[in-house]
Amino acid sequence: MMVKEFFVSLLHYFVDITTAVLIAAAIFLTATGQQMNSVILWEILLSGFITALPSAVLLCFDTKSVRLSLILWGIHFLVIFGATLLMLKAFGWCSITPLSVLLTFLAVVCIYLFTCSVHYLVDKKHASVMNQQLKKRYSNAEQDK
Amino acid sequence: MRIIIESPQAGDEDVVIVRCASPDQRLISMLLSYQTANTELTGYMDDKIVRLNYQDVYYFESNENRVFAYYRSDVYEVKYKLYELEELFAPMDFVRCSKSMIVNMEKIDYLSPLFSGKLEAHLKNGEKVVISRQYVHSLKVKLGIEEVE
Repeated sequence: MMVKEFFVSLLHYFVDITTAVLIAAAIFLTATGQQMNSVILWEILLSGFITALPSAVLLCFDTKSVRLSLILWGIHFLVIFGATLLMLKAFGWCSITPLSVLLTFLAVVCIYLFTCSVHYLVDKKHASVMNQQLKKRYSNAEQDK
Repeated sequence: MRIIIESPQAGDEDVVIVRCASPDQRLISMLLSYQTANTELTGYMDDKIVRLNYQDVYYFESNENRVFAYYRSDVYEVKYKLYELEELFAPMDFVRCSKSMIVNMEKIDYLSPLFSGKLEAHLKNGEKVVISRQYVHSLKVKLGIEEVE
């Protein structure tokens, strides 16, 4: 159950992050007028997978304390930010300068918010279906009484 | 279906035998519910020892190797392990919502999503409990939204 949950989360995060990175890349390439090499598509897929991995791992922690949850989310963000910087350098997308680090930080924040928002909206839809079922189930139970 | 009620031999305990070609899930759930309804659940609060009605329990929570039953406003310690309560109340409307908690679905007013990917159950007494992502599936199964794997 836990293993399945991990792989389902990994797949969801991979799709969401890759979509967000593609949008960011499209905006960047359009704005700068640069031509895209086909290899960048594989690099985007790989970066999506690498950054989805810590997100799926994070969901395996069932923490009770709010403080610990916030610490874990903070570590998670730093891991993703660090991994993104390393990939930028490894893929040669840009050189590491204070400006590129700042822009990467902003991009990671945007992708982070995009992914969280997508998950939140999906969860909201699921919660609404569950609320309907709860209502149906317990209005029936009250009628039976 | 024929219903036969026989008196047991003197000294024998009461036994319910279901003889059928394929087990009817509803009938089994009903029998398990009956068995659970007769389960003695004793709560301890300070010097008081109280017979608890499981239908009034909002949730069970384990904390530092002790398990507590939360009523609307009172809290009683119970001498069961959380996994024992989970097995015992599985046929009823109780569902595991985190490593340390089992919630009574009947006491959930509504559910709302959290930004962390978890769900929050707003209980009828105004309390909120968090449903971990890995237990959302079992809640959906109980609600008949998803199938048992």
